[in-house]
Amino acid sequence: MTRLQIPLQSATLKNGLRVVIAPDATAPVVTIGVYYKIGFRLEPRGRSGFAHLFEHMMFQGSENAPKMQHIKLINSSGGLLNGSTMYDVTNYYEAVPSNALERVLWLEADRMRALKVDEENLRNQRDVVKEEVRVNVLNQPYGGFPWLDMPPVAFRNWANAHNFYGDFADLDAASLADVQKFFRTYYVPNNAVLLLLGDVKLEEGFAPAEKYFAPIPAGAAPPFADTKEPPQKEERKGNVEEKFGTLPALAIGYVLPARRTPEWFAMALLDQALHGGRAGRIYRELVLEKQIAVEADGGIEDLFGYNGPTQMTTRILHKPEYSAEATLAAFDTVIHEVQEKDISEDELQQLKVKWRSDYYSTLEAGRGGYMPHYGLMHLLACFTLFDNEPQLVNTILEGFLEVKREEIRSAAQKYLRPENRAIVFRTPVKSNAKEAA
Amino acid sequence: MARREEEVPTLAPALAPERAVTWPKRTRARLANGLEVVLAEAHSIPKFHGELYFRAGNALVVDRAPSLAEMTATVVRTGTAKHASRQIEEDLRRLGADLGTSAGQDTSEISFAGLSEFAEPLLQLVNELGREASFPDAEFERERRQKLEEVKLERTSPGFLAGERLRKVLFGAHPYAQVSPSEAQVAAYQHEDLQSVYREIYTPENALLMLVGDFDPQALLKTIEKVFGDWTGKKPAAKETAAPPKPRGRQVYLVHNPGSVQTQILAGCHAITRNHPDWLRLGLANSLYGGAFNSRLVMNIREDKGYTYSPRSGVMPLRQYGYFSVSAAVRNDVVAASLTEIFYELDRLRSLPVPATELADAQNYLTGVFSMGLATQEGLLSQFSTVELNELPADYLETYRDKIRAVTAEDVLATARKYFDSANMQIVVVGDRAQIEEQATLFGEVEVYDNQGKRME
Repeated sequence: MTRLQIPLQSATLKNGLRVVIAPDATAPVVTIGVYYKIGFRLEPRGRSGFAHLFEHMMFQGSENAPKMQHIKLINSSGGLLNGSTMYDVTNYYEAVPSNALERVLWLEADRMRALKVDEENLRNQRDVVKEEVRVNVLNQPYGGFPWLDMPPVAFRNWANAHNFYGDFADLDAASLADVQKFFRTYYVPNNAVLLLLGDVKLEEGFAPAEKYFAPIPAGAAPPFADTKEPPQKEERKGNVEEKFGTLPALAIGYVLPARRTPEWFAMALLDQALHGGRAGRIYRELVLEKQIAVEADGGIEDLFGYNGPTQMTTRILHKPEYSAEATLAAFDTVIHEVQEKDISEDELQQLKVKWRSDYYSTLEAGRGGYMPHYGLMHLLACFTLFDNEPQLVNTILEGFLEVKREEIRSAAQKYLRPENRAIVFRTPVKSNAKEAA
Repeated sequence: MARREEEVPTLAPALAPERAVTWPKRTRARLANGLEVVLAEAHSIPKFHGELYFRAGNALVVDRAPSLAEMTATVVRTGTAKHASRQIEEDLRRLGADLGTSAGQDTSEISFAGLSEFAEPLLQLVNELGREASFPDAEFERERRQKLEEVKLERTSPGFLAGERLRKVLFGAHPYAQVSPSEAQVAAYQHEDLQSVYREIYTPENALLMLVGDFDPQALLKTIEKVFGDWTGKKPAAKETAAPPKPRGRQVYLVHNPGSVQTQILAGCHAITRNHPDWLRLGLANSLYGGAFNSRLVMNIREDKGYTYSPRSGVMPLRQYGYFSVSAAVRNDVVAASLTEIFYELDRLRSLPVPATELADAQNYLTGVFSMGLATQEGLLSQFSTVELNELPADYLETYRDKIRAVTAEDVLATARKYFDSANMQIVVVGDRAQIEEQATLFGEVEVYDNQGKRME
């Protein structure tokens, strides 16, 4: 069996900024990422959606690169850029021809040191974000299902349970003072990791990283609110109206074990057994065999990328002639099977081979192939910020390959219980298609 | 090729000297049965990615039913003479593989990726799907039933409704106008139709096998000969179709989607195919217009005015015809304002030469992003496929950057005048009629459709 080993090295600057470099000379392209340990969960109360709105503001100008300069300088260097807000981290990343490395480091350092935005920028991005929410959620069939529908049903702690894209009233209430405060609190070098991947030698990376980032003063250690959930004692259910779609839908989410515990490794393989495409037990049972569902997918969305309460979530769109109860009963049959009987040794071997294969693909690209090293960047960032151990990228695979059949069954028994799950029913309003005809 | 120095009026560090961009060598072969093979090494991960393309898709068989090649592809993976559906899916997992079967207007394909250590068994499975699919009755019935729900569901997506209408408007009676079947057409799919499409299209003489990944090409070529060598079958007969007339004058097509809280704009006109000599120049003009974050359209209607999150433009190259289109999902009250800016930016590129710095920036953007494809197996496969399927020159990838850098401001102006046909753009707006019809009438005669595709008064 071939094992992929990623050469990498990491260091910490005096201001607390972690730097991780993973050289790979396959192509003359370098991927640069800056991850801040702040996401949806910890945005201020009364400011739902703020972490994401703030992410937009990071593209609006910094002291030496006013509005549009940042984007223009990356694009005109031959590069792509973006950012994304997640539960526990927010990232900013670029892939550029490697001759632009220093320029990108200068830009990222400039906005880490001195974000410079005004009321007009905030107004503009508030409008842009509202259109983003409309195009992705409010004006789409099954928009936000289940990633926005599930948290308020499943969780009790506001940090885990609020609307992560933001209520429009909260977006409207966000002020420039909020932006500056959030920036000063969380966007400090000692709360971040800088990642350089691809066509960069170690010395070509560490020297300019030091040059541009070391002068940024460290900040106070950011406050991290408690994201713990009170113990769940009952199955939780919620209903959401589906405005456009034609099919009834439901989502079932089970809270996951803590990261890097033995149960967590077992859950990851159980997830593969349940949701692994057309061979997965849920798709096979609900779509291929019983033919109740039209779509049945989901799983653990970002296994390595969360640092608080999270679920494995199944998303089902079913045929109108089956009731939600019948659909759920068919789903439960699959769950009971993995609780009552060990999966076969043959199935376990299949799962492990597929897991290893998928893991390699994640490291190579991870984002539809267009952003080289995105997946490796993401894993290194999370292993650094959450585990303080970037080398996990080379060792963590072992943990999955060592999982035993009985561990999968006991994870199923312990975690796939009704008292550990929440169900969201997304039900179409009376056929709008017919009204229109 | 002389290259302009960039003017960067900031403290930003200058770019270091460029590093060489070297595309991997391709190994080509044609088996005795006509199967074309292209292989390229890429050792980033111990895997490989592949495509088995057949050079015909929905357009060839549209007279029998729309999307028939796609339905055929869907059922191909559900059973062969040797293996039932469940066995196929488990075998794929056993090999650490992913596999998809699909069809577009001009091709049908089996795409796959897997661990290098299992290359041969995965190729055997691909071979089996390519020539021994058995179209089990029960699987066909299930997939047809699924498809019925899918075609109902897609009519609730603004993006689908806009794209469907634009294709009908631009292509009229041509097969490219048909992007999806109706419920009645799905209900009328015949089992035998799928089998005959399969027999006609899935033949070695009509196929191209492309593999990129961690392997030794000579050894893999031997494996391919062993696996695919005794397959036989001829190319399907080509079909003549009349050229679609190019719509003249601006016209607006409003698709009424009740309850919409946003309007999907999609405007387009006929352009060119991938192998047209103007392709790279048009690509550059498009990049300046709306093809990049740093483009005029994005700067205008997103970063300046905040009308939309995701404006973009592009050229869609089907095999026989290509078209240019621009899209944005905008706030309902700024539909007219957005269209005004969309046309303003088109007309500005048609009227005034692009400033030298802006042109250089766009050239750097395109040449830089082009190299991203080198870094991943999927990226390489996609670039190589583009070259092969469109019969582009063998040195297309190697010369692309120099050709982009040779384009002048005069070329861009001439290209924009030729292809950004703003006077004859067809405008589709998908939204709530009551909120947008008045704005839409400012841009031309309005035809209104419901979300089922029926004309409304």
